[in-house]
Amino acid sequence: MVNQPPAQHKVKRTLLASLAVVSALSIGCNGEDSLRPPPHSSQPLTVLGNGAVQDRFTGEVWAVGTVAYTTTWGNRGTPGNAVKIWDVSGNVPALIDSLIVPNAVTLGDIQASDDGSLLVVATEFSPGSIVLYSLANPRKPQLITRYTTALTDPGVHTANVERVNGRLYAFLAVDNSSSTLARLVIVDITDPTAPTQVFTQTMGSPYTHDTFVRDGILFIAVWDAGIKIWDIGGGGKGGTPANPVQLSTLATVGGEAHNVWWYKNTITGEKRYAFVGQEGPGAVGSSASGDIHVVDVSDLTAPREVAFYHIDGAGTHNFFMDESRALLYAAYYNGGVRVIDVSGDLSSCDASQRDFIGRCNLAEMGREVGHGLQDGPAVYIWGVQIAGGYLYASDMLNGIWKLSLLP
Amino acid sequence: MIFLLLAQLTVGAQAIGVVTRVSPAIHGRDLTEAYLTQPAVMVDVNPWHDLLSLRATINLEGATIKRGELAPGIYGEGYIDRRHPHTYLHELMLVSMRRFGPDQSSAISLGVGKGFAAFGTDDPMSRPFEKYPINHHLSQILERAVAIGAVRVSDLTLETSSFNGDEPTSPGDTPNHDRYFDSWSARITYTPWSQAELQTSYARVKSPENPSGGGADQRKHSASIRLEDKQHSGYALFEWARTAEFAGSTRTFAFTSLLAETWAKYDRVNGALRIERTERPDEQRLLDEFRSPVPPTDLSIAGRSRWTIITARAAVSLGPIAAVSIEPFTEVARARVSPTLQPAGFDPRAFYGSSTIWTLSAGFKISFGMQHMRMGRYGAAIIPSKAPSMEGMEGMDMPRSHQM
Repeated sequence: MVNQPPAQHKVKRTLLASLAVVSALSIGCNGEDSLRPPPHSSQPLTVLGNGAVQDRFTGEVWAVGTVAYTTTWGNRGTPGNAVKIWDVSGNVPALIDSLIVPNAVTLGDIQASDDGSLLVVATEFSPGSIVLYSLANPRKPQLITRYTTALTDPGVHTANVERVNGRLYAFLAVDNSSSTLARLVIVDITDPTAPTQVFTQTMGSPYTHDTFVRDGILFIAVWDAGIKIWDIGGGGKGGTPANPVQLSTLATVGGEAHNVWWYKNTITGEKRYAFVGQEGPGAVGSSASGDIHVVDVSDLTAPREVAFYHIDGAGTHNFFMDESRALLYAAYYNGGVRVIDVSGDLSSCDASQRDFIGRCNLAEMGREVGHGLQDGPAVYIWGVQIAGGYLYASDMLNGIWKLSLLP
Repeated sequence: MIFLLLAQLTVGAQAIGVVTRVSPAIHGRDLTEAYLTQPAVMVDVNPWHDLLSLRATINLEGATIKRGELAPGIYGEGYIDRRHPHTYLHELMLVSMRRFGPDQSSAISLGVGKGFAAFGTDDPMSRPFEKYPINHHLSQILERAVAIGAVRVSDLTLETSSFNGDEPTSPGDTPNHDRYFDSWSARITYTPWSQAELQTSYARVKSPENPSGGGADQRKHSASIRLEDKQHSGYALFEWARTAEFAGSTRTFAFTSLLAETWAKYDRVNGALRIERTERPDEQRLLDEFRSPVPPTDLSIAGRSRWTIITARAAVSLGPIAAVSIEPFTEVARARVSPTLQPAGFDPRAFYGSSTIWTLSAGFKISFGMQHMRMGRYGAAIIPSKAPSMEGMEGMDMPRSHQM
């Protein structure tokens, strides 16, 4: 062995120490949360029936009267290019028919207009689009037109259909691509045969996944940038859908802001809280993460996060509210459906119920009052909707469920 | 000056013509396709005794395999079950190195340019098989704007590198300026004797799949043992790699790979065997079901599958004739795939039509001039070895390579 000078010995010892450090860094741990069961105070929702879908993964749900529509996602051997039409007049949803949307692999979002005349479906991926159907016969939607432009590419993630000052608009959350940023596109669909883009702007860090419109105020979920609140006709700042005026932004804790519901108390008219869904990482079918963030928007120009709701081992997706009873129904992927009492002051709680930054923990406050789809087969609940006095839940694994509302 | 540069210029080129049949490739269907793959031109210039050298590799796969090359289980850069084409400018590295120590066996170097980060094992293009292992994105970090410092003292080498985290998104893509040096890696290599090499490395990669940032970050680990005999007639590699994804500081998913491969030649005949077990993320697919969205639409995955692949290869070396070598070969691979998360948004058996997939390839590799040296190391990190005794060249340090 060749004798090395002392300096080389020193360097060698340093390198050996570095080797040990790098090796130590190579030893990791695997920490996956297990799903926390509902608290004892939470009442089970009665499952009335299931309309099974096994050929495709199910996406969003929307119900109009006794007909419900579910979209499809991804690829289950068959691409997610179908809208399933269900007769939900009985307890068990019965499949009536399917619409196949060509040149699409995921139909992530679906919504009917407020007058029930129009059905709008968002499509991914390139070419992204929205597809408009007439609901003159809700059991047999008829294609009116498919709206696609360079600005709906590579895919429309969600399409929120809302009326503003008498005109009907679709608020499109458009995916980012390797060369383009995520964007918001607002399309006037008052004349569904001739949709017209009235506004677009890139936004999202990096995603823009959903919007919520009420009383001329637009909420946009812009992922790690949190939420944006814009006046589009109801904020008193002169905004319109064609020329929105930003009122504020708020970075919610943890980012990943995915969807928003701005709650309006039907008795008092109070609109104090917006609920923001956080979509953290998950594996379709088996795991999910992400909290519900409660934002006090009594001053739309100065929103602040005051509370949150968290479930170990599960994450939230889309919401729907029974506003007359102040109950938030949240799709919780592998956690099924959770019902949260959002009445009263959500920012007041004991010190023991606050987290380290002062937010109230709704779970610690005993605000979870109901749950569904916990005891049967494995579920992965994408969306929920209340219609005709029932709750409909879309389940990526099993199709559509019909449940009773909380008594 | 030009004469000096030309005198020190080493040029090589290669391409592989191959026909591949995969059964089943998708939805129970078999696919047979032909490619001109791995077409590359390599240039090394070292006119000033390592004071400043240049290494460049031009890769023309963007022109020849734009649709991707069938390779069940492989994934990355928007391709799935097809290997993606690499960028046209595969490498362009300027390296300055200074040797020191009693026998000049120690060295220090600095490299900048576009190329491999100091992480993991050799690039599969310089290894025995035509079909890449599917752990390519777990075991190498390449085609980045990178700055690498390396020091080799006797039998130990330490490298650190800083680079842009974003992966290329097309053959013509270049590293994003606003992502320069947002990621780093370190690799330590120990060479207990001249034919053995142990390495372990670690990397933190920011948002590799989302060019604008904000996607999942990766923490990557690699460890390997590499053996090669003095005559360069036998080689073996044992490799472990793991990539854990993080959303902020929260770990989400991890993907692990174990790989062993060996190669040996006797006269003009050579053969190789590779066994690989690798987990991959399953993602949504586009209308072209061999493609996935770049970037993904969120931080979730459709599922995670484990691929166990055994690949065997036989080849015959012909030539060189006028510096041109031709190597006809055949490779056969059996892949078995199973989901590791259930239920999942991706059912391999339903998608492929079987959980066992066979791949048969036959073709020839043609090469000219300089053969691929080991790819993925620069300057002081290229471990010299004693060349086989040749009259008048005893004891000369040679960069280790194998001609396959």
